[in-house]
Formats: sequence, structure tokens, C-alpha cells
Amino acid sequence: MTSTPVQTPTLHILNKAPEHSRFAACLGALSPGDVLVLSENAVLALPARRNELPEGTLAVSADLSARGLEEAFAAQSIDYAELVRLTEQHPRIISW
Amino acid sequence: MSTLIVVDQAPYGSWAGREALDMTLSLAAFDQPAALLFIGAGVNWLRQQQAPEGIGQKSLEKNLSAAPIFGVETIMASASDCQRYGLTDANTLAGVVTVDDTKAAMAGYEQVAFAG
Amino acid sequence: MSTTLSYTLVITGAPWASQAPQSALAVARELIQANHRIDRVFLYGEGIHLASALSTPPSDERNWPREWSEFLAEHSIPAVACVASALRRGLVNDAEQARYELPASNLRAPFEIAGLGEWVEGTMKSDRVLYFHGSI
Repeated sequence: MTSTPVQTPTLHILNKAPEHSRFAACLGALSPGDVLVLSENAVLALPARRNELPEGTLAVSADLSARGLEEAFAAQSIDYAELVRLTEQHPRIISW
Repeated sequence: MSTLIVVDQAPYGSWAGREALDMTLSLAAFDQPAALLFIGAGVNWLRQQQAPEGIGQKSLEKNLSAAPIFGVETIMASASDCQRYGLTDANTLAGVVTVDDTKAAMAGYEQVAFAG
Repeated sequence: MSTTLSYTLVITGAPWASQAPQSALAVARELIQANHRIDRVFLYGEGIHLASALSTPPSDERNWPREWSEFLAEHSIPAVACVASALRRGLVNDAEQARYELPASNLRAPFEIAGLGEWVEGTMKSDRVLYFHGSI
């Protein structure tokens, strides 16, 4: 059985620090229309790798706050309820 | 529901690669379309002549070679990562398909997951 | 009004070695809040440590295994630790204790021990499968 290409927009949830190899792998796998949410250590990419992140990148508020970044990146910040809504809207989700 | 299990962790330094293979074989055992994609340091799982007895571990070479028999559709590896780690046709397990575009490879599956 | 979806949550990151159990619990609480159904929580790899009955953090720290077990019990959510992952890492229930003649068992209720088939079923039947990995 061969797989058929799946063109559906994907929600990517990334929790690795910018230095982690999976961080780069995730960025390399993004397609137009996909949504990227940074959580846990990955929120450190906002101060460190801002230019490499796609437009519209989001980050988990509690993780930003924990690391003293909520004020600086409030525009990207989403709470867990909003993260759940994104999982409702995206049947295809990859947790990196 | 087709599932691609991605392995990006080096062999023997952790159990994640083995646990990824277990997940893939379980899917296949339940007749679910399943495939493996090795990227980054994970491609080193695919080298021939692994002999981990000296570090007290079992080789996965046989298990990986047998995976197609158990219903795993495809074993893919990133071509650029294979090149980076010196993996060629001559020293890579038989049956591995190298892919230039891992993004396109992932796009072919409804679910994409890591073991850890 | 949004429709109710069913979710399987897979946790592969261990408490105190990762944030995975905390992030998963925060998401799980929001899923319930949003009237979604959690079919199952599946612990795999290092994630099985969340089901240890013996974790005893200092009293002024959060106890993630206890908070998870209370949440699971309150909402009657089935939770399973993968048997192969669990036995390797020293997490056993009474049946496995007896089978392998071990000196103790340490599986925290309401977690159960079962095979990867439970995860496969999640990938087949749940509308969404969310993974919570370690970040190292």
C-alpha cells in the first residue's frame, strides 16, 4: 500500500531549545499554511532566532512567563485554551 | 490511517530508536500502514556491521531488516544526513530508501510521530 | 459551539527530567474544560515514571504523579503505562510483581500496565493524538 500525499495544514508543536537538532528539523518541515507553536524550551527561540521563525509563530504563555519573556513577546502569546482550539482546527498535528 | 515514525536519535546512546521501532512494528501488527524515516544522527541505525555486544546491547540490524516482513511499508532515510555520516549504498542496510526531501516524505503520511 | 473531539495523549517525557507531564496536564485540563473527551493517556519510554507510586518530592513542590492520578480518577480517564517501557525501568503492578517474583510493586492507581496495542488503538480511534516529549 502506498501513501497518498496529505496536503492538509499541519499544527506543529515544538518544545526543543533552538540548539536542539529537532528544532531545525521542525523549521525545515513547515509548509505554507502550517501553524507553529513554541512550547517549553522552544520559546527561547523568540529572543534568539526571531528572524528564522515564520510569520505568525505562536508561543505558550505559561512557558514565556516562566522564562521572563511574556512581556516582550505578548503578541505571540497564546494560553492553553487557545492551544486546544488550534488542535481542534488541525486534524494533522506533529509534536516535535 | 497511515503513520510515519521518525527516528532522529543516535543508536545505542538511548532507547528511543528501539522504542520507535517497537511502535512501528505494533502498528504493522494491527494492519495499520506504517513507515520509518531516519533523519539526523538517527541514520546511524542503518549502518551495516553493527556489533554492540561489547556495550551489552543487542543489534537492531536484524530487526530492521525484518521490518518489511512484519508489514512495515517503507524504511526511508534522509539522503543528506546519510552523506554527512558516511553512509553509502555499500555500507547501508538493504532495502533503505534514501529521500532528498524529508519534508515531502513526511507530507505523505496522515500522522507523523516521534518515540520520544 | 464547537464539536466534541476525542483525544489520546501520549507522554514520553519523565517528571523531573522534562516538562512533559506538566504541559500534558495543562492541555488535558483545557480539553475537559472545552468538553472534549480524553480516550486514554498512554505513557511510553521515560514517560512511564509518571505512574510511580513512590515519587516523593519535597512537600513544598508539586507532585506531578499525584496530580495526574487525581485528575485521571476525577474524570474517569483510562491511563496506561507501556508494559515493555515500564518493566525495563522498574515500574510494576501486582501481577508483574508476582510473575517476576519481585520484592515490591509501585504502580500508582488508576494507571494500568498494558501493551502498545493501546497506543495503536488511540491512533486508530481518537480524533487527535497529542505527544508530550522530553525536551533534551
